[in-house]
Amino acid sequence: MRNFTWGQAQTVMDAAAAASVTVADAMLSPPNTNGQAGASIVKAGGIDLLDLLKEKLLTADRITSLKELPGLDVITRTEDGGLRIGAAVTLANLARSPLVLRHYPALANATAHAASPQIRNVATLGGNLLQRPRCWYFRAAEYRCLRKGGGHCFAIHGENQYHAIFDNQLCAIVHPSTAATVLVALGAIVECADAMGAARRVRLEDFLVPPDEDVHRENSLRAQEILTAIELPALNPGTRMVHLKQGETDSFDWPLADVAIVFDLDAERRCKRAAVILGAAAPVPHRAKAAEAILLGRIIDEEAAKDAAHAALADATPLHKNGYKLPLFETLIRRAILRAAADLHA
Amino acid sequence: MAESEASRTATFAVGLASTGLDEVERQIPRDEPPPLPPNAELAVIGKSVPRQDAFAKVTGAALFTVDINLPGMLHGRILRSPLPHARLRALDLAAAARHPGVRAVLPVAQPGDSLRYFGVPVAGVAAVSAQAAEEALALIHAGFEALPFVVDLDKAREPDAPPVHDSTSAPPGNSSGFPAPAGLPLNGNVRGPALMQRGDVARGFAEAEVIVEGAYSTKVQTHCCLEPHAIVADWREDGLTVFMSTQFTAGVRHELAEAFGLPLARVRVIAGAIGGGFGSKSSLGNYGRIAVGLSRAAKAPVRIVLERQEEQMDAGNRPATWQSLRLGARKDGTLSAISLLSYGTAGVTLGAGVGGIAAALYTCPNFESAQYDVFINAAPGCAMRGPGNTPGAFGLEQAIDELAGRLALDPLALRDRIDPSPVRREERRIGAARIGWQRRHAPGAESGPVKRGLGVAQSLWPANVQTTAACEVRIMRNGSVEVLSSVQDIGTGTGTVMAQTVAEVLGLRAQDITVRIGDTDFPPGPPSYGSRATASITPPARVAAWRVLQTLFQEAAPFLGVAPEALIAHGGRILVANNPGRFMLFGDATARLHTGKISAAATRSDDYGGFRRRMPDAALALQDLGGVQFAAVAVDTETGIIRVERVVAVQDCGRPLNPKQIESQVHGGVLMGLSYALFEERLLDQHTGRMVNPDLEQYKLARPREVPDIEVVVLEEYRGQSATDAYGIAEPANIATAPAIANAVYNAIGVRLCALPMTPAAVLAALGKIPRRGELP
Amino acid sequence: MAEANTAVSEQNVPFAGAGTAETVQLMVTVNGVDRIFDAEPRTTLAEALRGTLGLTGTKIACDRGSCCACTVLRDGLPVCSCMMLAIEANGHSITTIEGLAAPTALHPVQTAFIEHDALQCGFCTPGLVMSCAALLEHNANPDQEAILDAISGHFCRCGTYPHVMTATLAAAAKMRGDDNG
Repeated sequence: MRNFTWGQAQTVMDAAAAASVTVADAMLSPPNTNGQAGASIVKAGGIDLLDLLKEKLLTADRITSLKELPGLDVITRTEDGGLRIGAAVTLANLARSPLVLRHYPALANATAHAASPQIRNVATLGGNLLQRPRCWYFRAAEYRCLRKGGGHCFAIHGENQYHAIFDNQLCAIVHPSTAATVLVALGAIVECADAMGAARRVRLEDFLVPPDEDVHRENSLRAQEILTAIELPALNPGTRMVHLKQGETDSFDWPLADVAIVFDLDAERRCKRAAVILGAAAPVPHRAKAAEAILLGRIIDEEAAKDAAHAALADATPLHKNGYKLPLFETLIRRAILRAAADLHA
Repeated sequence: MAESEASRTATFAVGLASTGLDEVERQIPRDEPPPLPPNAELAVIGKSVPRQDAFAKVTGAALFTVDINLPGMLHGRILRSPLPHARLRALDLAAAARHPGVRAVLPVAQPGDSLRYFGVPVAGVAAVSAQAAEEALALIHAGFEALPFVVDLDKAREPDAPPVHDSTSAPPGNSSGFPAPAGLPLNGNVRGPALMQRGDVARGFAEAEVIVEGAYSTKVQTHCCLEPHAIVADWREDGLTVFMSTQFTAGVRHELAEAFGLPLARVRVIAGAIGGGFGSKSSLGNYGRIAVGLSRAAKAPVRIVLERQEEQMDAGNRPATWQSLRLGARKDGTLSAISLLSYGTAGVTLGAGVGGIAAALYTCPNFESAQYDVFINAAPGCAMRGPGNTPGAFGLEQAIDELAGRLALDPLALRDRIDPSPVRREERRIGAARIGWQRRHAPGAESGPVKRGLGVAQSLWPANVQTTAACEVRIMRNGSVEVLSSVQDIGTGTGTVMAQTVAEVLGLRAQDITVRIGDTDFPPGPPSYGSRATASITPPARVAAWRVLQTLFQEAAPFLGVAPEALIAHGGRILVANNPGRFMLFGDATARLHTGKISAAATRSDDYGGFRRRMPDAALALQDLGGVQFAAVAVDTETGIIRVERVVAVQDCGRPLNPKQIESQVHGGVLMGLSYALFEERLLDQHTGRMVNPDLEQYKLARPREVPDIEVVVLEEYRGQSATDAYGIAEPANIATAPAIANAVYNAIGVRLCALPMTPAAVLAALGKIPRRGELP
Repeated sequence: MAEANTAVSEQNVPFAGAGTAETVQLMVTVNGVDRIFDAEPRTTLAEALRGTLGLTGTKIACDRGSCCACTVLRDGLPVCSCMMLAIEANGHSITTIEGLAAPTALHPVQTAFIEHDALQCGFCTPGLVMSCAALLEHNANPDQEAILDAISGHFCRCGTYPHVMTATLAAAAKMRGDDNG
């Protein structure tokens, strides 16, 4: 790892100014060792950043810490009854927050088992959303893959058992954030602030960038901008949510598949609103629109769950080693829908 | 049983303590102690005394090689080939050498050399800091010409596959015990066969009433030692001192003397605490040579610690195998013929056989095997916990399970018929009761998406003995006692069982014995591989302690007014055997010594009753080691997830010296086997030959939440074959786990998984649940 | 323990100050003692502990936060010291395996690890001890699930997990004062 200078931002504007370039852009130029001007970047928990630096996928001349910024590490109720989560809230604090546990249990669940307690004590929600993909070709300096500014995706015809089954024609990464699966399902808004003090609010689902829009980044964070908060809209009374994930192992592992379901049902158990989001399925959290359409207006029962799960996979395009994700997702979606419905009537 | 000047007759208790002991007479050397009574009669041996290095390890005080920091020590790094097969065209180290922090550079390969796998060392640098060494690596100019390569076992067997070796570069043979003898033919990348044959296999199959056939494959597993391979080499005018995380200090010392043309006496190898080995730290290794070369060039100590990525890519691995097994049997289960064909790959080296378990575990008059090594452009494999027999058992024990099914016999009843070992019969009986075998149902009989099943498999491992193993025991005038040997403790508890053995002889407590091991300045000890350390070092430890005690008796006897022969040592006292009221405290007896210390040494004598087979410096005991393991699994047929819920491991290792340590090691064997069964696979990218998961993140492993309820039962078996009658447990405890789980999975879902690892993808595929392309919903 | 021969802060230096062009001066409370030392910003906490401060009980096994062998406590919370910069410990309190208990005594978790043979090669052991001790600070009566969660990021190739579980349950019982723990 090349040495760098260190600073601590005291204001959000200073912090945004310190981010001269996004990590994604900084990684597009091959790392240099001969003294060329490198990036000035910002760091919160920095788990992913340190990993990128150690693997020489990223070099930085200056790193500015966000940990001194006031107000970035708190969780508050919003006026409309939603929740505002500072971007620097650690995953550990998020998972044990009474507010989150009471109102958004699926989010607590998604973060409570991410990585390890050691990581969760340091990693922040903002960093979790902005972390770069775990694709092993992307993570090895030897491969100058499409996402790093190279010519092609090595995974599409390579080792792709943990890769995408949707939207994988250009680049087959899956989005690495499990929290994002739930946050998209909940309709979360991300708030960014720039060096001039202006705030930008955008739906997380729109903030995340699929490959055909720009294969070099997973989100639309800009240079001289930092992520400051994630806001969750208020829920209708009786909204139920479930997050299910399945890793190859249950200890310290990335999910092979994860599913977030958010429902609003009417008195007859008829579905008024449904979000079915798949994680570890596509370069961004994948909204299973066909499944949502099937659920809408249906009474949620075994048959509806089965139909929705089946429909969710209809347009999947598995690669040669990840076809198993289809039955796996189908199972998780069906179980998650039924669990959410059961919760409702528990 | 003729006595001689050198030997005398002694009566040993033999058999299983749980079912009753028998007696046998054997000739033992006159200068060795009388038979050691069964554990029930002993004070220290057979007790779960704490590890002698436990305090140091739980407080962080234990010094591992990675913790050694000598004055003026440099940091070594290795430049590695970025291609799976290349010719080195240019190597220019000048710019690296000019880096202000660099003290030495060392070419490892020369222009023109073939570099046969991704990550093979090309050059080394030593610098004043790790950062400077890393910067210097980037300054090395190396030119590589890419050559055709093959990294897939099946593709490498094809006639037009790119050749990995030519006749001069191919390794000549592998004497490590996995069939790869010298002189076998090499055709393309395929070398062999190593043949084994007895009886008439054709007639055996002709006489068979039932024939089962199956093909089984296993993947490359990496050792994943927690402490990376590490060395600190200190080359000086008067000799070479090496600190190394190694499983064989005495062996590495010989390697160093030979490689660098030094007299053995000028080479010292020291291994302090060792963070695991599992077979991968058995020899000097390429990084070891580089560190010594750099130290010689820099005239300063050099430390090389492999980074995790290097560790996973080029520090050894368990070879991949494919085997085809054919069993012929009569309707009563009696085996009439076994035929085995295997192809395995240890990358650019040899030793990828499936061992001898198919030939040895069951009674079968007609047997043949042909085992081939296949070269691929991948890092060299090496021994790993039960090499050969671990993949071998994955095939054999599933084939036996399959045969039981075809014969409509209970798998245990079939084994009762064909397994000649009375020890394993008892192990099956105990294990069946503990796992609740009677509730085992027909394969796939459960309804519902999550199906449970029970399986069993057996383990076999030769009882290895290092016949050169030596040990010294010293008693100081102040009463302190030392036991010394170059044997190392890689985490198995070798030092502790040595202390127990010596303490038992001297009538002391284990913690009264100072264990000084892992240093070639002491008598040469055995390697810590092949499950042989305990069997090799505890007998000479007991003999040496007994000898030095005779000296103490001679000096103490006049003070107690009896002949030395009348004395015994017990409870911290030297006392008169038939008059225990007359005694001296151990410390009072040593205080009367004429000299500051008395000492005796011993070398491992031959097993009483002889060996089955002798090799240079080593031998095989008459009986094998083994065990029987039972697994209970739950398979979610909709997600493909296998959960191992319970394992019962019934094992034998001769006389158990420290039950708690044995239990620990069996846990390790079971968990490594479980991890091998369900998760582990080195993945090589087929297009670039690079390992894509060289880390502890994407290389999947069993961790805390994958741990089943493990019940360990260790038999107390006496053989009367050495001064301690103790043998190892590390490998026998690993061999049966994967096939026991595979058989349990078959019992659960009614479909047999013949390839490792048994991932969700494999389970869902076996159940026919993965749509083929083109038939998507 | 083992602090006597190294620089011990006499004055209160709350923030990084001096240093050189390449390094910064840090003040970290390590095992209860204020330590002032220079480090490059790129230096990880694990490297600083093992190198500059000579506290080699903390082990580096994967150097990527994937095995937890390097676990230390920052302000009482377990963290991977390989995935934290030393500079981020500035002004914080770090507890390493060397400082878990007084030099002459053992933490109940350490005692229980010895009694229950919850170690083999011992390389992952300091990290596991730190995680289990940290758990018992916050949870006096952990069930198996709580212990599994606390150690879920650890990797032990020797397979000590079952004995780590029994040892931690025993240590918890002892710390609570249960007689038959």
